[in-house]
Amino acid sequence: MATLELQSITKSFGEAKVIHDINLAIQDKEFVVFVGPSGCGKSTLLRIIAGLESSTSGQIVIDGQDVSDAHPIDRGISMVFQSYALYPHLSVYENIAFPLRVQKTAKEELNERVMRAADILQLTDKLDLKPGQLSGGQRQRVAIGRSIVRNPKIFLFDEPLSNLDAALRGDMRVELSQLHRDLQATMVYVTHDQVEAMTMADRIVVLNGGRIEQFGTPMELYHHPATKFVAGFIGQPNMNLLPADVTNVADGQLQVKFSTGYAMTIPVDTSTAKVGDKVDVGIRPEDVHLGAEGGLDVHIKVLERLGGVSIAYGSVRDAATKFCASLPGDARITEGGTVALSFNPQDCHVFGSDDRVLRRLETPEVGV
Amino acid sequence: MSEAIDRHVAPKVDRTKRRVLPEGVFAWMLVAPALFFIILIVAWPLVETIRLSFTDARLGGENYVGFENYNDLFTDRRFHATIVRTFYWMFLSVGLKLVLGLIGATLLNAAIPGKGLFRVLVMPPWVIPIAIGCMGWLWLYNGYFGLLSGMAQKTGLTDAPFEFLAHKTSAFYSAIVTDVWVGTPMVTLFLLAAMQGVSRDLYEAAWVDGAGRWYRFRRITLPQIMPVLVSMALLSAIWTFNSFEIIWILTQGGPRGATTTLIVDTYKVAIGNYKFGEGAARAVVIVTLLAIFSLVYLFFLNKVNKRFGGK
Repeated sequence: MATLELQSITKSFGEAKVIHDINLAIQDKEFVVFVGPSGCGKSTLLRIIAGLESSTSGQIVIDGQDVSDAHPIDRGISMVFQSYALYPHLSVYENIAFPLRVQKTAKEELNERVMRAADILQLTDKLDLKPGQLSGGQRQRVAIGRSIVRNPKIFLFDEPLSNLDAALRGDMRVELSQLHRDLQATMVYVTHDQVEAMTMADRIVVLNGGRIEQFGTPMELYHHPATKFVAGFIGQPNMNLLPADVTNVADGQLQVKFSTGYAMTIPVDTSTAKVGDKVDVGIRPEDVHLGAEGGLDVHIKVLERLGGVSIAYGSVRDAATKFCASLPGDARITEGGTVALSFNPQDCHVFGSDDRVLRRLETPEVGV
Repeated sequence: MSEAIDRHVAPKVDRTKRRVLPEGVFAWMLVAPALFFIILIVAWPLVETIRLSFTDARLGGENYVGFENYNDLFTDRRFHATIVRTFYWMFLSVGLKLVLGLIGATLLNAAIPGKGLFRVLVMPPWVIPIAIGCMGWLWLYNGYFGLLSGMAQKTGLTDAPFEFLAHKTSAFYSAIVTDVWVGTPMVTLFLLAAMQGVSRDLYEAAWVDGAGRWYRFRRITLPQIMPVLVSMALLSAIWTFNSFEIIWILTQGGPRGATTTLIVDTYKVAIGNYKFGEGAARAVVIVTLLAIFSLVYLFFLNKVNKRFGGK
């Protein structure tokens, strides 16, 4: 298998620059997910790696070799498309065998490799069917099978699960993770779904506006979002962001006061902060508790009872700021009511006016 | 007060007492208008043609002659030659239209600069009236002031004016060229539409797998457009088989019958010589041949759809 390096990759379509100086090093056997909103450049970046688009500048290095100008077949990559890109007139067998037929692989070896891929993907009894006779999940597996038979150095996936329904998507996530473990392959996966990114990735690249916002393990991104964008994008429901004023700065202790008058001292790196700064204090809904007196009063507008938890959506009283809390399933709260909520200062994230985080000093140990 | 309210209440309808037409009668009522026109403009002329083919109908009157007209046809060697010529005309012309249409559609589908303009330029042969187009070709084929004869002389191919439509072989192939010129644009546009319906992802997936241009055309484009290609071949074959105006304007079936196809022969006999009975027999032969041809073709179309279709 292989390493992949992107060195100073840029891409422009005419005047519009869609990829800005991307530098990235992906390790051997790593499962890396590119995640970001629509139009952030994640699919373009994947297509540049595949050789379907050329970069405006920069190098793509696979296994130490510059392949920026190489044909896709010479890069040792294979790609699974969002639409599956199965040939409707060919059987499942012929679809999987297609790359081998292009390479004029000997008949016996071709058959052996197709059967092995079909076995891995549980498609052995579907080999004579046409793609139109398969379910969405089965089609996706055929597309993956077409990638597997080539024994590529790197697998590329372009939003492969986005056409599936929610239940099937969950199953396929597990299957893909299992496949990654079985094949021990380097995989690059593009999605706009942060749940897919969190559940499958060894490391996640969060892209926004053609730039890398952060590159790290799922739990690093969750506990240490580098920017307000990452904080808002990773985590479900989204992180709450409350505007506040810095009222006191001590070594490692930042005192802030919310517009409601509620004040707290947060343990963060204060080296760039000063009194009077406007900051945003981020708190994840799952770190919010049914509160004691003196907390935030939140007016609940919508309540979602999910059984184990209740998600309360509302706004902070005396302020227009939206607020979301993930509370115990049997919490005695009602829509239209007001509830006092609280949270621990060490669970808070503080973002400066440049949207970058003031590093937290007291955090839970980050797993991988 | 209650009377006032009652006046504004709609009278109750007893739905159980409403008359309901039997389902079969209602269905026939729905199809009746279409059926009437089909009988009027398709079935009745067909039946009348078949009836006429068993008569010696002329301007003066008609008598029942049984199978005499058919007997004459099947023993007439010139008629046999006309059938062979018609099928040769059809296969050659349709073959050329399909090959040129496929090449044209492929080029117009490629990422070439100014392809929008080329797509417009393909249209004129199909858009302008056939008669006007044929007049242009008459001038081109003319031996004394025609472009083709002039060029042939200038390049030394001939040393005297060459009348393309005055010689048996050149007249036949000249008519073929004109027929192909008229018929190719439509084939091109239909195949282009079919090609544009092929997902770009299929080509990109094949490109990533290392498939070259020709391989992609052979293994993706051609199978994907095959149902349209086969349908176009059938339609084009029927139109070419029945193609009358081009031949009539260029050669009127001459010289010495060299461009006389079944449809031209039928016209000459029935309308030119007022032998309606004999003409009707020829028309019945044409319908029968086309029906057999279409059935065979539909059988293959079904096979093609099964093989190249999605399911």
